[in-house]
Amino acid sequence: MNMVRFILKRLGLALITLWILSVIVFLLGQVLPSDPGRSILGPLAAPSAVHALDHQLGVDKPILTQYWNWISNFPGTSYQYQAPIGPILGPALLRSLKLAIFALIILVPLGIVGGVVSALNAGKPIDRTISVVGQTMLTVPEFVSGIVLIVVFAVALGWLPVTATAPPGSGFFTQIKYLILPVIPLVMVLFGYIARMARVGTIEALQSDYARTATLKGLPRGVMIRRHVLRNSLLPTITVIATQTGYLIGGLVVVETLFRYQGVGLLTYNAATQHDIPMLEACVLTIGVVYMVVTLLADILFSLLNPRIRLRAAE
Amino acid sequence: MSRGNSELDRLRAGRTELENHYIDELVSGNVSRRDFLRRGSMIGMSSTLLGAILAACGSSSSKTASSSAAGTTSTSSGPVTKGGTLRIGAVAPAAAVNPLTVSDAGGLLMLNQTGEFLIFDSNLKLELQPMLALSWSPNTDGSVWTFKLRPNVTFHNGAAMTADDVVYTFQQLSDPKNASNALSAFAGVLTPSGVKATDPMTVEFTLEAPNGNFPYLVSSDNYNAIIVPKGTDFTKWQSTFVGTGAFKLGKYTQGVGASFVPNPNYWGTKALLDSTTFNFYMSQAPMILALQGNSVDVIAQFTPAGAAAILNSPSYKIIKLPSANHRELSMRNDIAPFTDPRVRQAVAYTLDRPGAVAALLSGDGSVANDYPFGPRFKSTDTSVPQRTQNISMAKQLLAAAGHPDGFSTSLKTEIYQEIPQLAQVIVEDAAKAGIKISPTVETQTLYYGKSTFGNSDWLDGTMSLVDYGDRGAPNVYLTAPLTSAGTWNAARFKNKTYDGLVKQYVAALDLQMQQQIAGKIENLLLQETPIVYPYWIDGLTASTPNVNGLNPTSIAQLYLNTAYKSA
Repeated sequence: MNMVRFILKRLGLALITLWILSVIVFLLGQVLPSDPGRSILGPLAAPSAVHALDHQLGVDKPILTQYWNWISNFPGTSYQYQAPIGPILGPALLRSLKLAIFALIILVPLGIVGGVVSALNAGKPIDRTISVVGQTMLTVPEFVSGIVLIVVFAVALGWLPVTATAPPGSGFFTQIKYLILPVIPLVMVLFGYIARMARVGTIEALQSDYARTATLKGLPRGVMIRRHVLRNSLLPTITVIATQTGYLIGGLVVVETLFRYQGVGLLTYNAATQHDIPMLEACVLTIGVVYMVVTLLADILFSLLNPRIRLRAAE
Repeated sequence: MSRGNSELDRLRAGRTELENHYIDELVSGNVSRRDFLRRGSMIGMSSTLLGAILAACGSSSSKTASSSAAGTTSTSSGPVTKGGTLRIGAVAPAAAVNPLTVSDAGGLLMLNQTGEFLIFDSNLKLELQPMLALSWSPNTDGSVWTFKLRPNVTFHNGAAMTADDVVYTFQQLSDPKNASNALSAFAGVLTPSGVKATDPMTVEFTLEAPNGNFPYLVSSDNYNAIIVPKGTDFTKWQSTFVGTGAFKLGKYTQGVGASFVPNPNYWGTKALLDSTTFNFYMSQAPMILALQGNSVDVIAQFTPAGAAAILNSPSYKIIKLPSANHRELSMRNDIAPFTDPRVRQAVAYTLDRPGAVAALLSGDGSVANDYPFGPRFKSTDTSVPQRTQNISMAKQLLAAAGHPDGFSTSLKTEIYQEIPQLAQVIVEDAAKAGIKISPTVETQTLYYGKSTFGNSDWLDGTMSLVDYGDRGAPNVYLTAPLTSAGTWNAARFKNKTYDGLVKQYVAALDLQMQQQIAGKIENLLLQETPIVYPYWIDGLTASTPNVNGLNPTSIAQLYLNTAYKSA
């Protein structure tokens, strides 16, 4: 019961946040320079043609009318593509989710294992190696690691495809093959971050009273780590992973551009540069929804692992 | 020779005055065979006729204008192989593929996959070729042009193409009430009421003013002007891609790619391939990597900047086309110190053009003189001497204009291809004569602004460096940025003599006349130097060595009916 109330309260807050987000994005869209007609027709088009197109698109109407038109026809029609947004955004979201899930499947175990191994060997060479490697990879931007990977594995060795989009009708494993190269830069960037969180959490848990008690009462080290340390040390890591999932869904412009992957990040970026406000709105709200759902799931998971949260929420 | 002359007399009979004038020019040696072919094809003389005239004039060469829409290319080799899929890497269309509104390379490449024009401007052969029009001819002053259409052409929806479809297409394109990108080309030239069908296979264009280069405006140069069925809703065109071309739509996916399959009812050379697949890329770098990684067979069009890996590799075929793609550095003629032509000339004298072509274009371009006539245009008067870097001359001119120690000014430009680097070259070269230029490099959205005076860094900057895309005739370059009423006159150049010369040039039907006026314009612009023209950039298409028969244009179109992959 307490859990249901907790979730309902969170959902209510999420809806309000989404509405505020929609207003902010809409207003930001209004203050951006240039206009949609000009973006579509290009800088050299005749002003009369731009006026005619702006009128067709309805962007010469008052701001409130535009906002109402958009919200009442959600997700509406893209200015840029002159086509309904749903059929464009839906597949893009699926593609981004596919990429994000694949990245997470590799990243999470790798990051956690790396962090825990580091923590258990704190101060030893293996800990330093993991930390240094993680931090170094964190500082290499995706467009650098991505191009290096393409040049080495796709162009020189020819092992993997250059693009991330598998040909239509490809099977599961072919699709995975196409996603391997794009996933590596993401894993590289996020590994250091997650490993560091897992390391700090584990060290904290190892130094805690309950860990000492467990050791003193004679539990074997392996059991003590599995039952007591990991369960507590991973709490902050879950939050970090949840936040990064939002980034994995919407912030992959660089990787998506480099590997020709039509995901939400690329769609959002193009919508922003082309002044395609309905598309931009729909993308940002979709990313917002994904972000909130993931955070909500993380909170639920968090509370399942940590009864103190449940109790506080119920109070 | 006597047989030749009697043959020529026979051919002359029934020709118009203008056609006979061209024949005279050819016989007297005033125009070369190549020019004769080009000019003859422009006023609508058929390739058979042009070939016969050349033969009668004692020409032994068999080179004649091809009447097929898509001629073969210089890259063919080995036996022709049928079938297979050709994979093409292309820049993603920036917006909907709508024939009225398309304004970008990715979009116009899509239009030409299924759509065709009245005339095809072949950069490979430097001539106008009949496409959906079989022939065309002007009246005596070039104010009315009549086009005879190709019979037995059907659209992909099964309907026959007639004059009504052509009239509908051009009325929509030239209607100021429409959001038509072609309006900038048709302004002052054509209005909807000027287009009419005189019979089911003949269309007559009555122009606002005489125009000797009008055929270019209904050719593939005016990339919006593909012929669509009467009544077409342009906003829904991209769901059908209905046209008359050798390929018809397989599938089009926004931002991802497209596929096309052969049109079995095509009027011309039927496609050799089983299908074509286009993969869209957001920028050039991943596209080049895709060619290197064998994910695509062809890159539709690319620029030399950042393409050294394939330009310098023997593993790829590169097709280079002379193009009128160029950059313009304008100086505000109404703002001191650029009010003095000597100051503007001084800036022009500082620039090392061959150095810029080598460094920024990997040599895939040619130096420009300070006027918009270049190697792409037959009307260019090539006798006018090329301006070269001369720092001491620049310093003398500055001293004479009262700036012996140079001066400081600002330059606005855009992030586009090699332009930021060119701005840097301009700044460094100008500094050698004591001119201190502080450059601002902006995104295109910010730089172009509203593209009207007072609302655009492009048009309002004291100095401004902008890109101009390829055109088959120099008319737009001569009018919009340079005439007193020009809508893109970033230099605020106002010169009555110049305006008069341009009016004469635009109306001139005859090549010699055009060259004569061009010479006057070239000298006037060198004297005034409202704009510095650093170079012309070649159009480049790349493929793997087994791809043959590509037929690209320098404005990024690519016809593929003759393309095949050899084993």
